[in-house]
Amino acid sequence: MTTYLGNRLLSALFASSALLWSAGFVEAKSVIHVMHQGDPGWVKAYGDVAKRFEEANPDIDVEMIYAPHDAYNEKFSAAVMAKQLPDVMELDAPFLANYVWSGYLQPIKPLVDKDVLDDMTGSNIAQGTYPIDKDLYAIGLTDSSVVLYGNKKYLEAIGARIPKSVDDAWTREEFEGYLEKLSKLEGVKWPIDTFRGYGIKTEWITYAYGPLLESAGCDLIDRKAWKASGTLDSEACVKALTMMQTWVKNGWVVPTSSGTNQFYAEGQPAALAMGGHWFYAEAAAAMKDSIVVMPLPKIGDKGVSPNGTWIWGISASSENPEAAGKFLSFLLKDKDYRDYAKTQSAYPGLKSFAAESPLYAEGGPLAVAFEQASKTAVARPPHPAYPTITSAFMQAVDKIFNGGDAQEALTAAAKKIDQDIEDNAGYPPFDEQQ
Amino acid sequence: MTLQQTSAAALPRPARRRDRQRFWQEVAMIAPAVLLLAIFLITPFLLSFWTAMTNQPLVPRPTPVRFVGLLNFQRVFTDPLFWTSLWNVTRFTAWVLPVQCGLAFLTALLLHQKLPMQNLLRGMFFLPAITSMVVVCVIWGTLFQYPSGPLNQIVGFLSGGMVQPIDWLGDPNWAMFSIVLLSAWQAYGFQMIIYLAGLQGIPEELYDAARIDGASALRRFWHVTMPGLRPTHVFVLVITTIQAFKLYTQVAILTQGGPKESTETVVHYMVRAGFEEQKLGYASAVSVILFVIVLLIALLQRKLLRRFDV
Repeated sequence: MTTYLGNRLLSALFASSALLWSAGFVEAKSVIHVMHQGDPGWVKAYGDVAKRFEEANPDIDVEMIYAPHDAYNEKFSAAVMAKQLPDVMELDAPFLANYVWSGYLQPIKPLVDKDVLDDMTGSNIAQGTYPIDKDLYAIGLTDSSVVLYGNKKYLEAIGARIPKSVDDAWTREEFEGYLEKLSKLEGVKWPIDTFRGYGIKTEWITYAYGPLLESAGCDLIDRKAWKASGTLDSEACVKALTMMQTWVKNGWVVPTSSGTNQFYAEGQPAALAMGGHWFYAEAAAAMKDSIVVMPLPKIGDKGVSPNGTWIWGISASSENPEAAGKFLSFLLKDKDYRDYAKTQSAYPGLKSFAAESPLYAEGGPLAVAFEQASKTAVARPPHPAYPTITSAFMQAVDKIFNGGDAQEALTAAAKKIDQDIEDNAGYPPFDEQQ
Repeated sequence: MTLQQTSAAALPRPARRRDRQRFWQEVAMIAPAVLLLAIFLITPFLLSFWTAMTNQPLVPRPTPVRFVGLLNFQRVFTDPLFWTSLWNVTRFTAWVLPVQCGLAFLTALLLHQKLPMQNLLRGMFFLPAITSMVVVCVIWGTLFQYPSGPLNQIVGFLSGGMVQPIDWLGDPNWAMFSIVLLSAWQAYGFQMIIYLAGLQGIPEELYDAARIDGASALRRFWHVTMPGLRPTHVFVLVITTIQAFKLYTQVAILTQGGPKESTETVVHYMVRAGFEEQKLGYASAVSVILFVIVLLIALLQRKLLRRFDV
């Protein structure tokens, strides 16, 4: 009885696999794997694009692989170790140098439609370019920036000057003066939310606080000699971080464990918010007209703002680079995807997308964010040691914000970064770049 | 052992053959398990010793992998953060051990009484242990919220507003304690089950005899229950200590080692070095050191407890 059943099962299996096999010959379908991260809304948007792409290209199957934001790089490393790199992958722009240096990505210019390439903004090209061969390795619909959001009610109550453009951004004196005034204002629990609630693993600290250091005249690493000691632990950096530490000590900053919605939550306990462009969508929905968007303050002589976001590349090991490129072109032109991005106040990285985004147009509420891109944006260090640079820096900032000594923490971080570069023999050819 | 061997040798021939047959049968039966252990546990373990002495990155890099001798170990031992993380797990263990084992022991004693709906109660008390630690962390993360999370509201209500809200996970002085609380709550069910089994293993006759001798409940507990539970105590202590030293999930989800490195643990430190900074060689060195530490503690505990005639 059992043998009989077993035999039947076996033959059925054999028949079906034979069928599949022959079907493969008839249709010759190719499959591309697409790895990405994102909040549920984005995940759905990507999935829908994939479905539409399959309808338009019946000979290509798209398989979406989701990896959570917080652990994306760990998941990516696992894929590399298993030699299962996806064909198309989303990546965080500052990690591009590391990926290209390690040989994971291939240049995308020959694979993506020319009209899409020509559509890229300068900042978008910069975030997808590898500094050694100056070739383009990744592309995105979007870019990003951080601005200072203000609650109109509170700002008017303290008589704060509201900057209209990047050029008249608050100076450090003004900024700290307002923070102090706000701290004494009725109804304000915290003068500012710097989104410590994003945690110390999400890249937020390096992305958003790094520019304040650069504005104060220092940097995460010397971008010519690629050495952190002497730069990250310099007096300018120590002073800048001690300044931020003082804000925390004074109780001016929303603590990590209070979440990321104190700016617009009931009672509006936080008066200012140093937040990403994406924060506008949720905050404006709750606060309507009482939200003011301002450029980041100038800590030193010049204003500095961050840029770079999650962009798309094609892996070097892809067996179907043409299909992968076709998918990318399709994705970047897809109307519904763009429409969804608009609901998330996405920051345009393509000129045509900027033209259809009234939020960022002249006179639009986020125009100042777009202005920052051309005037003050500085990319995070494009160096293969970036994973260590950001990890060490975030750890140091966490220590400093919780009362640790700034000099000590930054010296330790700088040492760690330099050690990593040394361990990798200077990441050739970056060691000869100088 | 020697006694068995000599008696086996003294047996008549057919019996010895039967013995040999049985030996091979046993070998055949344990072989699959041994093979799997060798492949998935012992080999990686031995490999990690080797990896610890190289600069092996997590994923292949254009730069060559070199043998670096004891450099990784030297770096681990000179990194203040490693010592901080070691101190932190020691602190964690010292707190969680009495809280978790005490809680487990007390609930086990309670549930060992002949209560109505005994099985239902046992199931309920065991519930946290079968809940995923990740889920528990997310829920407790909400309870811990500052300043108006449920736990702070309870504290405020009980103290009549005298106690200011506590930043459970954001204050370096409180963060580890908060993790102890939730860890003990999540994990005590396992130790409770072991204690329950231990309690059920104490023969009822001993209690009867004690009762006849006129021993009070307290004395029965002290002179029958406690000695009867000695092996259980040893097992629970050793297993809880080892578990405590491997503290990772709670920290990775709730605090990522912060604030101010107050919840950095050895395993979290190792994972960060291996996966975030991609230094597999360095992370292997940490894992070897952790292994030695845990081994030493287990041996020490055994020795100490044996002295108390367990």
